Amino acid sequence: MSLAVQPIDDSETLNPEAVRRDFPIFSEATQSQRLHYLDNAATTHKPSAVINAITGCYAQCYAPIHRGLYPMAEQATSNYEHARRTLQHFIGAASPDELVFTRSATEAINMVASGWLKPRLQRGDVVWVSRMEHHSNYLPWQRVCREKQAQLRFIELTEDGQLDLDGTPELFTERTKFIAITHVSNVLGVENPVAALCATAREYGIPVLVDAAQSVSHLELDVAAMCCDFLAFSGHKMFGPTGIGLLYGRQQRLADMAPLQVGGGMVDSVGDGMEDSRWAAIPARFEAGSPDMPGAVGFAAAADYLSSLGHERVRRHIASLTCLAAERLMRIDGICLLPHAGLPASGIVSFTHHSMHPHDMAQIAGETGVAIRAGHHCAQPLLRHLGLTATARASFSVYNDESDIDALIDAIISAQKVFCE
Amino acid sequence: MIAQDLYKETLLEHYRHPRNRCDGPIQEADAVERGANPRCGDEIEIGIFLQDEKIRHVQFRGRGCAICIASASMLTEAVAGLNVPSTRILCEQMHAWFGDIEPAAGAPLPDSLQALAAVRQHPARQKCVLLSWEALADAIDTAGRE
Repeated sequence: MSLAVQPIDDSETLNPEAVRRDFPIFSEATQSQRLHYLDNAATTHKPSAVINAITGCYAQCYAPIHRGLYPMAEQATSNYEHARRTLQHFIGAASPDELVFTRSATEAINMVASGWLKPRLQRGDVVWVSRMEHHSNYLPWQRVCREKQAQLRFIELTEDGQLDLDGTPELFTERTKFIAITHVSNVLGVENPVAALCATAREYGIPVLVDAAQSVSHLELDVAAMCCDFLAFSGHKMFGPTGIGLLYGRQQRLADMAPLQVGGGMVDSVGDGMEDSRWAAIPARFEAGSPDMPGAVGFAAAADYLSSLGHERVRRHIASLTCLAAERLMRIDGICLLPHAGLPASGIVSFTHHSMHPHDMAQIAGETGVAIRAGHHCAQPLLRHLGLTATARASFSVYNDESDIDALIDAIISAQKVFCE
Repeated sequence: MIAQDLYKETLLEHYRHPRNRCDGPIQEADAVERGANPRCGDEIEIGIFLQDEKIRHVQFRGRGCAICIASASMLTEAVAGLNVPSTRILCEQMHAWFGDIEPAAGAPLPDSLQALAAVRQHPARQKCVLLSWEALADAIDTAGRE
């Protein structure tokens, strides 16, 4: 879909060994032992295509953007706006004006909560999030609701970790002013039916923000088909640089949103009084300060790279690794998988052990070159609901293969020998 | 065996067989205080039993990782018999040893706590060591006020 992508054959399966050669971090020159990186839900590694794109911005074409009139400045501006168009096509947006570069998905969500929802929210209104939200898609709504004396409510979960929409009849009512929902849970790995939810919400005139931070690396995003009003994700979880994110907003929604930051680049004319100043058009209105041009270019290079691998091949590869990891973990005595019923499907396997703390498991795994996460994964409302305080989590990406799962299983068996014997 | 650097045999032995651990509430202590680490859900309660300005006995209860439990268990042995000012100094020294990313200057760890020394190389786990020591310092303060 992206502008610079060669057509690929989706029928082939992904070759993770070839993919690893695209990532300098996995080269033997970099690692003294094989790195089994299974913390991809936290952040992903970067292919040479991204690293080179960023380096190229500084080494070959660096200048202020939207400001200079000399050729290199014009080229830098063009590269920045080209990155926006690449990402526009990557998510199926109607116009590049619907894409705002942010620092992170977190910043994007905060912009909507404070810039769009806050001026509209009234006392007694209801905002909904799901029980499985990352703190990034929970705290901004909690704060705005508290400030406006509105109610923040949870869409609870069924036993198998799905949204309990049947048990939430009040969701689609006049009192609901906004819904914020994650596409894929960063703990449970479940994929939410966001397109169906957005379609119903639109019938009721309820805007929806989809947090795609956890899905963007392996599910094809199409905001037109998804029918969402806002969508947020970051670059670093999809092989792009750290420190840049994206807010998609339907054109009218963005036009109605107040800028959170004011300053250079977001204004057309500045009067002596604030009332005389006029904001720039969208999306520049939301990009105050000197934009992160190398970040945007690296972000777009990551989108191109992902597209070149083929979304369907990526999705199938990650789904099959996730299922295999879940099946093999389940066979280890003492391991309990989340959700408690049903298999995770979307790149993430969270688990606990009846007599080993997740931190101890992760520590032992780390020493054998297996990088997994342990903790609450910034999802305390979910863990509280599950009666847990921490889990271990393995999350998969394009460069992982069965040998990473072998190493994970070996690491847990080693940890059992240390702690359970 | 792997992980020898961090999980010394002494540490593991305390984890597997914690000393002075209560399964239920700590009864009849002079003060009981709790330390919690919301990042991992670990919680340790420390109860102190005083006699003549000395720590006669310490009990703990709670849940945590191997380092957290071992640290609490070692604490109960390390401070039993110490007077209150010395215990306070040890709590402060533990903070200096495990609260900084740079190795702390000053007195060495007492022999009874040497098995924890390797945790200094793992900044993410230092809080696991300190949880029980922070609760102990709070318990001493509470007992001093009463």
